[in-house]
Amino acid sequence: MKQTEIKEAPAIITPSAGDTSFPKMDKLSNSVPVCLVGNGTVDLLRIEFVFRAGQVMEDVHLAASSANAMLTEGTADHDAATINDLIDSTGAALNHIADKDAAGLVTVTLTRKLEEVMDLAREVLFSPSFPGNEFRMLTDRRIQSFLTGRQKTSVIAREAFYEALCGAGNPYGRITEESDYRSLTTADLHRFHKKHYNPGNMYITVAGREPEKALPVLEKYFGAVSSGQWEQPVIPSIHYDTAKPGLIFREIPDSVQSTVRIGWKGITRDHPEYQGLQVATMILGGYFGSRLMRNIREDKGYTYGIHAVAGAFRSLGYITLMTDVANEYREATLTEIWKEIGRLREEEVSDDEMTLVRNHLMGEIARMFDGPFSVAEAIKGIIDYDAGEDYYTRFAETVRTITPARIKELFNTYFNPDQAYEIIAGAR
Amino acid sequence: MFILVSLTYFAFMIRFERHTMANGLRVIVHRDEGTPMATTNILYDAGSRDEDPAATGFAHLFEHLMFEGTPRIPVFDVPVMMSGGENNAFTNNDITNYYITLPANNLETAFWLESDRMRGLDLQDERLNNQKSVVTEEFRQRYLNQPYGDLLLLLRPLAYRVHPYRWSAIGMDISHIERADSASARHFYDRFYIPANAILSVAGNVDPDKVFTQAEKWFGDIPSGSPGNRNLPAEPEQDERRDLTVHRPVPSAHLIMAFHTGTRNSRDFYILDLLTDILAGCDSARFPSILVRKKELFSDADFYLSGEADPGLVIFSGRLKDGVDIRKAEEAVSAELDRLAASHVTTEELEKARNRYESHRLMSYMSAANKAFNLAYHEVLGDASGINTETEQYMSVTREEIADASQRTFRPQNSSVIYYLPGKR
Repeated sequence: MKQTEIKEAPAIITPSAGDTSFPKMDKLSNSVPVCLVGNGTVDLLRIEFVFRAGQVMEDVHLAASSANAMLTEGTADHDAATINDLIDSTGAALNHIADKDAAGLVTVTLTRKLEEVMDLAREVLFSPSFPGNEFRMLTDRRIQSFLTGRQKTSVIAREAFYEALCGAGNPYGRITEESDYRSLTTADLHRFHKKHYNPGNMYITVAGREPEKALPVLEKYFGAVSSGQWEQPVIPSIHYDTAKPGLIFREIPDSVQSTVRIGWKGITRDHPEYQGLQVATMILGGYFGSRLMRNIREDKGYTYGIHAVAGAFRSLGYITLMTDVANEYREATLTEIWKEIGRLREEEVSDDEMTLVRNHLMGEIARMFDGPFSVAEAIKGIIDYDAGEDYYTRFAETVRTITPARIKELFNTYFNPDQAYEIIAGAR
Repeated sequence: MFILVSLTYFAFMIRFERHTMANGLRVIVHRDEGTPMATTNILYDAGSRDEDPAATGFAHLFEHLMFEGTPRIPVFDVPVMMSGGENNAFTNNDITNYYITLPANNLETAFWLESDRMRGLDLQDERLNNQKSVVTEEFRQRYLNQPYGDLLLLLRPLAYRVHPYRWSAIGMDISHIERADSASARHFYDRFYIPANAILSVAGNVDPDKVFTQAEKWFGDIPSGSPGNRNLPAEPEQDERRDLTVHRPVPSAHLIMAFHTGTRNSRDFYILDLLTDILAGCDSARFPSILVRKKELFSDADFYLSGEADPGLVIFSGRLKDGVDIRKAEEAVSAELDRLAASHVTTEELEKARNRYESHRLMSYMSAANKAFNLAYHEVLGDASGINTETEQYMSVTREEIADASQRTFRPQNSSVIYYLPGKR
């Protein structure tokens, strides 16, 4: 002890979520929605183009992510080398986003380079040429990283979970094989692009200082693209072929750790209990001092980290827990996870723990709305999943008012061991 | 042209105030009214280079112990969460850095927490033993159970023979972590976790005068201590090429080529940092366009500076395409590096790198937490105002300087080369 004088701890001011209001929406003349997020302090703009062009929309596996990756590999007017050089010279990058439900591009540009960058964004989004040579090289690169993923216990366990939950033929559950890469053609990409990358299927967010000043530039490059000439995509109906609950083992020879993953079906964002479930899952495994971290990391030392998530795609919710542990601890880890869930099903959390998680989540919401780039990311989730413009305002209210009794009920309703898949990926 | 460029850049100065307390703690404050939050960043000038070669990984293990509570605050995370904050830390070869980001009206709670763990820790054997096993799992998860995860663990002892950069922050070997004891923890803490060896940097919606007053209140009575001199052995100049070939159960071969370079404060750092962007910073850079696309030797080809305070490395790292002979691939990289000394990069390439630097720099200003760390980091390098003046260092790099630095750096006798090949270990 260097000094023994004790000062009184400062009084903690209960954190509030702050301003969680949805930003202003505008429209281009062709009806493309533009979301304007202001209050930036530097001369940078973050512009994101989002299309309902994720994996759920594909009729051929990998078409969505491949079409997205190929956008910057050549256009009707420029080859790949030229287009990349033009983009990079502005100091900006056009970053690819392609997930299960949405796809597009996001860029952060110096405000003074906005016009150049938007001109290029329009070109790659609406007139990519999908050249064969670039596609062949992309395919080789993707196969190589796919094969690297085959050796990661966490990747194999994740795939096994979604396959069990959704079925092998389902776009959320499908496991990719090397042959899927080999059989995909540029004709598949053209077809996917024509159908899904159209102005009637997109929105734009602009975040930074004075985002409204970008509107005339967006109008110039995107407002004139007619939405009439495009086919309107329909969200396909998705068939779920859910496996029976139980233990699933995937062998990865010689791995020094195993991934333990448990999960089951949850609820989607439109469900009235979705937000309460977020709070419950946070208590179990959503922060550094969560029940699972305290037990399995801080008390037992089995792992570097363990996490629980209640998430949802557009039409499917899930609850999942994951951790990487030494091979010899994997059974003990499963036992301890169920022990912690059992406690939460039987006993209400204390008021202290409830307040702790409440305050932590309030701070987390406040940080999500701290600065225009963070806000733009937060609202992307709202728009992509039709979660409602007041999603975070409602969430803050749920966080403020939920009770320990309600948390216990949620654990009893949504954390049932009989419905769980228990996945272990590791050495035999 | 040059004047115009300078005007643009110097419009974006990060303003800060600085004060050194009587016990040696340096305090830096940056006011940012665009956020409701504030970040308290404490940087301790102690990293894995300060470890005993027989007990490596210790600085990082110690970072874990800093979260294990004190007699006064048994669970560090509780007050952070109660005040709506988040916190974390990292350890590298040079420094250990801790931060707490919370609503600005709870800033004093962060001071209370940080001063408390600077004042005294609860170094019980039970907690040490538990964190030893957590760190062992971290070692496995991040370095051993990942394909290619041990590449940099292999590079360090090849490139360095004497200087403590010859091991990574995670440590040379898991057995070192297993052997750590509480007496060494106590010694490490007493030597390095003292005001005279720390920098407290605060950025966010705060009043600098109030921050200085609160810093005095919470940290002012902690005895200064002295970290003593570092006296690290200097790495002798390398005089012949070093090779290492290993086999691992991976799908494709990987090539590493590393060259010794200068300190973080040297002119070469800025010259080579801009050069690495020209060579590998973006899709149209030389390596992706020539080695990946045109010659189809690699599926990715990166080039970067390790960026340590003491003389560091500039590292080529590339995954080979299947069927490519690794010697041919290496020759192609060498040919590109040789070309730099023989002929200048183009003005367009230099201009592109400058634009990219400008965007990246502004991007890093979006977050108060980032600014707090960068101010502290520049201060430990010698002067916090480096956060502003280094722009001039980057913008003034010339094509001639790039050719000259390339000639001095990319010599075979200055290289360490790893062939990381698929196969049984």
